[in-house]
Amino acid sequence: MTLSTSATADHIYAHGLRNQWHAVVPSRFVAPGGMRKVTALGEQWLLFRRSDGTLAMLADRCPHRGAPLSLGKHLGDRVACWYHGVEVETDGTVSSVPGLPGCNLEGKKLVTSLPVREVSGAVLAWFGDEEHPEPGELTLPDPLTDPEVDAFLCYAEWNVPWRFAMENLLDPMHGAFLHHESHTMFEGDTTAKFRIRETDRGYFFEKTDQRGVNFDWVELCRTGADWVDLSIPYPPSAGPGGPFGIVGMACPVDEGRTGVFFWRYRRVEGWQRDSWRFLYKTLIEQRHWDVLEQDRVMLEAMPADADQHENLYQHDLGVVRLRRLYRTAAEAQSA
Amino acid sequence: MTDPVNGAWPYLYVHQSRTHEPSPYEYKLAATLEQVFTQEGHELADVVRGLNARQVHAADGAPWTEESFRAEMNRLGA
Ligand code: FES
Ligand SMILES: [Fe+2]
Repeated sequence: MTLSTSATADHIYAHGLRNQWHAVVPSRFVAPGGMRKVTALGEQWLLFRRSDGTLAMLADRCPHRGAPLSLGKHLGDRVACWYHGVEVETDGTVSSVPGLPGCNLEGKKLVTSLPVREVSGAVLAWFGDEEHPEPGELTLPDPLTDPEVDAFLCYAEWNVPWRFAMENLLDPMHGAFLHHESHTMFEGDTTAKFRIRETDRGYFFEKTDQRGVNFDWVELCRTGADWVDLSIPYPPSAGPGGPFGIVGMACPVDEGRTGVFFWRYRRVEGWQRDSWRFLYKTLIEQRHWDVLEQDRVMLEAMPADADQHENLYQHDLGVVRLRRLYRTAAEAQSA
Repeated sequence: MTDPVNGAWPYLYVHQSRTHEPSPYEYKLAATLEQVFTQEGHELADVVRGLNARQVHAADGAPWTEESFRAEMNRLGA
């Protein structure tokens, strides 16, 4: 079945950590009454939405002979496999075997079904392994639940290992170089000293001598899902409201691919909120995209073994810390 | 707007917040608004004065008031 407890630490490190929540795709990717095949943590899944909006996530594998359920038919409250018609409910129970009524598959829960939640426009799922099917607690990123904060989600798919996408976020110094030609990160020193500051949910990696100028700090938060929080100043053209922030998450698709989720948020209300939203849709979203493309181009060009032949320096402490944390978790989750 | 949500990898799509391609009026208003924020300030009164001074008016041609500007931003930024 899926997400076995016998996977090696290397496999887990390459394909994503289990026993936590991960963002999978934007909510709008699954229309009411629709289905969508997705790959996550190296496995095939089916997202399946009833017409009332209820969402379910099943392993994309028919319990009969393994055909992908995503090729099947949406029957409203269940899906019928195209191959021999076996019907599976949203919780993974076989409701009917049309070819052999009364067959002993009927009534058995034979398909893995993952707990799902929808958060600020994204589908989050609990990827428990065989020993941890029950969903763990999830504390949502505070900027996404604060009513005084407004956010836009940007989702993109990159041909990079998920760890590289996360490491890029724990490496704030790249802002002053990679993003020097951008609408937000053209200012600030190109030298800095960093420190790690522990919190009860993760750690900050931050410059000791500059704040509020470039991409100067980042917080890694492990609250049931892994996410980062950071803040970057806007130029005056963006109007009142101060800097914008990013809540970032990464979906490990497989060992070479990642879905990235960036909520660009701002603490704005009233006409200030409305004018930011207007400018964002009309002009600013494109500029944010151009910055994100700089990251994608760089990360996709990195060799797959980039993290094995490095010469690190003080600015890389945030990355080193992240790797150790993920490596340790992968070891603990392997058999 | 057709949203290319068809499951094809990779999904790389710039405009995820839009419901429509902005009209020439919207582009012009946005560009002028950025100029006004940069040159005049961030107070509502500054913004209304700055737009009117640049002759960039509401869609019906009327000069902006604080009320009409609020209402238009609310419509366009929803
Ligand atoms: S493989 Fe699905 S019904 Fe036979
Ligand atoms: Fe970046």
